[in-house]
Amino acid sequence: MLIKSPIHSLHKKLGARFTEFAGFEMPIQYNSIKDEHLTVRKSVGLFDVSHMSNVWITGDDAEDLISLTTVEDASKIGDCMSQYTAVLREDGTVIDDTIFMHLGNKHMIIPNAGMAETVTKWLNKKAEEYKICATAENVSKDYVILAIQGPKSRDALQKLTDIDLKTVGFFGCQYMDIGGINCIVSHTGYTGELGFELQITPTNLAEEVFRKILDAGKEYGIKPIGLGARDTLRLEKSFILAGNEFKGGRTPLEAIMSWTINWDHNFIGKEAILKQKEKGDYERLTNLICIEKGIPRPNCEIKKEGKKVGIVTSGTLSPCLNVGIAMGYVHPDFRVKDSILEIIIRDKPVKAKVVKPPIVPKDWAQQN
Amino acid sequence: MGDEVRSNLKYTDSHEWLKIDDKIAKVGITDHAQSELTDIVFVELPQVGKEVKKGEELCVVESVKSVTEIYSPVSGKVANINQSLEDAPETINESPYDEGWLVEIEIIDESEFNTLLDAEAYKRMI
Repeated sequence: MLIKSPIHSLHKKLGARFTEFAGFEMPIQYNSIKDEHLTVRKSVGLFDVSHMSNVWITGDDAEDLISLTTVEDASKIGDCMSQYTAVLREDGTVIDDTIFMHLGNKHMIIPNAGMAETVTKWLNKKAEEYKICATAENVSKDYVILAIQGPKSRDALQKLTDIDLKTVGFFGCQYMDIGGINCIVSHTGYTGELGFELQITPTNLAEEVFRKILDAGKEYGIKPIGLGARDTLRLEKSFILAGNEFKGGRTPLEAIMSWTINWDHNFIGKEAILKQKEKGDYERLTNLICIEKGIPRPNCEIKKEGKKVGIVTSGTLSPCLNVGIAMGYVHPDFRVKDSILEIIIRDKPVKAKVVKPPIVPKDWAQQN
Repeated sequence: MGDEVRSNLKYTDSHEWLKIDDKIAKVGITDHAQSELTDIVFVELPQVGKEVKKGEELCVVESVKSVTEIYSPVSGKVANINQSLEDAPETINESPYDEGWLVEIEIIDESEFNTLLDAEAYKRMI
């Protein structure tokens, strides 16, 4: 049985088409993925991302448990701040990437869709193993998560709260009323644009918040946005999708997440990735822009002069650039900026250029 | 948009349409199909001269999120392709029955027409 968002019927009324994603039935698009994508880049869009998970970490040593089980030292993340991090196995491979929020004496982590139980069990197991006084509790069913994203997102959301949203810094998070309903609001997102994410409980209040945001954003042309555009938006900004980029077991070094690692503390998996770092010969996530017609898809081989040098993990048509773009793991010898590789699409090589992230530059919307 | 069915065409249950003119069948995808696929962003057409069997892959049509194979509704030889789709694949969304046609096939076996649907039957199906 697929899990539906608590505001499923509202999506239906708004004309959504649905897709299955990690055990959830969520809107993939309301009208056109391309149009929804460009709406977020140029103005503002509203997403229901309730397929994502919510886990509370409580107890005297909650911070210690997060520090042990993620690549971040949680004691460095102050109250009302959030942090993007990763949970690793002992062998250094990523179980999940997640955001944790420091909210007073509690911490909430946001594992990926379908990962709540895995992450909760892992954290509780490690708390027991290392005798840490902390508990993880999966409360995903109690929350609706909305994301308002795009250059006009702050202006739209500001109309619904008395708190000056400009005082909420990047990755800041706090409780605040949105249209009279108390939410956890964080200055975070997955689109590369200005944006906020809202955690709403109980879930029966979410429809009202969703409608109020659509009303507030009307003057900016706000639209509801499905998971289709969410995926193209994140890929243009070279953001990882756990189910694609960690499939088969990948370390944060391979996934080019070393910037998230705080090496000055001990965490599960540290030893293994230190060894990998020393050896240095591991495949690395690489960004590619097609310079010939064709749309790369996951599992397409990446070749150099006919020899396999890597594999695509995510690929799509970029609605901003109108060409095929991809991320994939490539042997370090061939991960050279501006060099040309071939992506094999239905047995045909399509030339693609290695580029630095993000695939679509930050000021794209201003330039176009 | 999304449910136009033209009475002068033949159809398949995999949502292709055919316009038969003597020995040539012009093939495309139906209005219903383009509406289900949404924004078409890439089309891979066969080589002219390629021999195809009924039910075999004829072209590939891609939307942002999906890759869809289009099957040949009849056997024959590819006589002509709609080259303009390579630069403007969205034409299929805009005009599925006219400018958005895919290929023309030189028919070799007219008995295959028996399995095609007429407009009424296709309408009932969608």
